[in-house]
Amino acid sequence: MSFPFSDDHDMIREAVRGVLQDAYDGGKGPEHIYKSGAGYDAELWTSFAQDLGMAGIAIDEAYGGAALGDLGRVVIMEELGASLASIPFSPCSTIASDMIAGVGSDEAKEEWLPKIAAGEAIFAYTDGHHALTVEGGKLSGRVNMVLYGAQADVLLMSFRDGDKFKLIGIPQGVKGYGAETVETMDPTRSFSNITLQDVMMKDVMHLGEGTPEQFDAIVKTSFIGLAAECVGGAQKALDMTLEYLGQRVQFGRPIASFQAIKHRAADMYIAIEAARNAVYAAAMAEGDDKVEAALIAKAYASDAFFDVAGHAIQLHGGIGFTWEYPLHYFFKRARANRAVFGQSAREYERLATILLGEAA
Amino acid sequence: MSTLRDEFRDWLNDNLKGEYECLRWRGMPGDDEAYPELRKIWEAKLGEAGWIGLDWPSEYGGRGASDADIIELAEEYAEHGGPGRCGHIGETLLAPTLLAYGTKEQQDKYLPGIKNGTEFWCQGYSEPGAGSDLANVKTKARLENGEWIIDGQKIWTSLALESDYIFVVARAEPGSVGNKGLVFLLVKLDQPGVDIRPIKQMSGSSEFNEVYFTEAKCAEGDIVGKVGDGWRVAMALLAFERGTSTIGQQMTFKNELNAVIKLAKQNGAANDPLIRTRIAKAYTELQIMKFGFRRTLSSDQMSGADFTSKIFWSTWHRNLGELAADVMGASAEIINEGEFSALQKLFLYSRADTIYGGTNQIQRNIIAERALGMPREPRGGQMVTKG
Ligand SMILES: Cc1cc2nc3c(=O)[nH]c(=O)nc-3n(C[C@H](O)[C@H](O)[C@H](O)COP(=O)(O)OP(=O)(O)OC[C@H]3O[C@@H](n4cnc5c(N)ncnc54)[C@H](O)[C@@H]3O)c2cc1C
Repeated sequence: MSFPFSDDHDMIREAVRGVLQDAYDGGKGPEHIYKSGAGYDAELWTSFAQDLGMAGIAIDEAYGGAALGDLGRVVIMEELGASLASIPFSPCSTIASDMIAGVGSDEAKEEWLPKIAAGEAIFAYTDGHHALTVEGGKLSGRVNMVLYGAQADVLLMSFRDGDKFKLIGIPQGVKGYGAETVETMDPTRSFSNITLQDVMMKDVMHLGEGTPEQFDAIVKTSFIGLAAECVGGAQKALDMTLEYLGQRVQFGRPIASFQAIKHRAADMYIAIEAARNAVYAAAMAEGDDKVEAALIAKAYASDAFFDVAGHAIQLHGGIGFTWEYPLHYFFKRARANRAVFGQSAREYERLATILLGEAA
Repeated sequence: MSTLRDEFRDWLNDNLKGEYECLRWRGMPGDDEAYPELRKIWEAKLGEAGWIGLDWPSEYGGRGASDADIIELAEEYAEHGGPGRCGHIGETLLAPTLLAYGTKEQQDKYLPGIKNGTEFWCQGYSEPGAGSDLANVKTKARLENGEWIIDGQKIWTSLALESDYIFVVARAEPGSVGNKGLVFLLVKLDQPGVDIRPIKQMSGSSEFNEVYFTEAKCAEGDIVGKVGDGWRVAMALLAFERGTSTIGQQMTFKNELNAVIKLAKQNGAANDPLIRTRIAKAYTELQIMKFGFRRTLSSDQMSGADFTSKIFWSTWHRNLGELAADVMGASAEIINEGEFSALQKLFLYSRADTIYGGTNQIQRNIIAERALGMPREPRGGQMVTKG
């Protein structure tokens, strides 16, 4: 056990690592998942969510969760980053469950949190407030790049209503709902474009409401999970690299003995440890500090992951550039994490505004 | 919030004023020539009020402060602009080393002077031929008639001119090489066999010095550990140096960043998108450093935060120096009234951070070899330079 984790966290890490590394071994996982183009492993999700009971890691005990909070999620997301397992933990058990827990009505919590915790329902989430329109009791609009949108039983969306935001849920398969899987550079994860065409408002679930600030804070703190995934992925890329450096011999010695290589590896480690500090700090932060800490974690860890994955490819030489060798999946995941959820420049500008005020 | 912190805040409010007001925000590394005498008096005031050695054993006047208290107090001190501490080498490097490896006699003899803020120490490690390769020290020590006799030269010795004592790594077994046969000695500076010559630094002042030993003496009992233990003791002290000894210094980083932010707002640099990002990043990394401390202090095993802290903070500080100069723009070039400004000092002095206490290259070697288990650097001897 080492700070900030408890024995419980360590047990979870071991159990999760066992299952994920068995099935996936750091991106070497079932090629058929990747080749299928689905980016989703239903079988693994069932055993992960239902048998291991991990989907409710941060959900309250009252709703059947493990109540292990952000630190519990960090453990799991690190392992998911290290394995690149194709399961929808990230949207379902971070942002979607936090949305319901944070701004959901009592009924919504009672109905859906236990289902998420039990692995009986997959939720995805996307900001809908710029994309949706209601006319004549019908909802229409299009949102792109929704993580595990096609697999979700319910797609959660935020929806602007006057100066309030509403949390709505659209069940998969209602009339007018279309999900189209997008092929992305990173084939280990599923993104979809969702079209809503004249979906009857009576088919839409009204799950809760809150202020725009509340929604915004939940979105931002959900980045802690993403940042933890970056730390896990970066650590795995470094581990793979260290293993290779020790084996590969050139000029009569393992390439790990060359100082240029040692120093690059040290830089990778420094970046990962710094990202770790940022992520653990965010997981432990409370109140208003948490949003800022989450922004910091996301900005720093997503950049660190990309840098580390790039160094890893360089230090592997030709083999690092080979599709058969799974390193490229980490590189692609790293790039996707910085691109899809907002580049670090955006977070840094937010921090700059706090520190310096708006630019003139 | 701890009561110690409250007490310290009150004390600072009551004492860091009047004749001491001028010390606020002064005397940090790089600004060591600011009021050296008054800062020593201030150190004694801190000592008298019991603000030194708070985490020492109670028999030496410790007050049972936890690691978290130490961070909080350092934070409080920095927030008040508490002046650079003349006694930090004694308090944060030598004292923990003596507490771990020293004899009862040594602890009784040397800890009170540190605790009272009346005796000051400097570090005699580096030599002309032994910098990164510290094990190559040539300074000799021999035991004669119940006294150690020391001959040789140290270099880059910070604050030697301001100090009363020096701890010296020297070679006691003739013919020994590398880290074998070394001793760690506690030596009084004010004696005929010691000659101190200041060296002017690129930052203008002369914090560091050459120290020559010609039959300099210390008592037989002034050896920490035994003959041959010198390396082990020296490394233990370095671990304090790279670890938590810099908490106080790092707490002042926030003040420095705030000064950069203030200037950027004043002169319009705050509108430059690149400067904005660099400032936001500096703040980000400052928060990261702060949590790194918590990890270091809260884990009983070595964590990644321990291995990476020295290179991370020193590189951060050097980058802050560059950022400060870039925020100043062309005006950074201009010297007013013959003295570097605080930000100019920051820019210049921070180049040293990535050198002393083990250069960044040495830190990377340590990380690669100890944290990552990569092969050790081959030791020299065979290599011949052309020429
Ligand atoms: C402001 C300041 C204060 C100081 N205060 C003190 C003090 O109080 N007491 C004291 O004992 N010392 C002090 N020092 C000395 C400091 O510890 C040394 O300067 C430092 O350890 C480097 O040694 P060197 O200067 O001999 O450089 P060298 O060791 O000669 O290094 C020169 C360059 O070579 C690189 N290098 C060396 N070996 C390796 C290697 N194995 N692999 C890769 N690169 C390598 C270094 O990184 C550096 O870039 C101080 C230095 C400064 C700048």
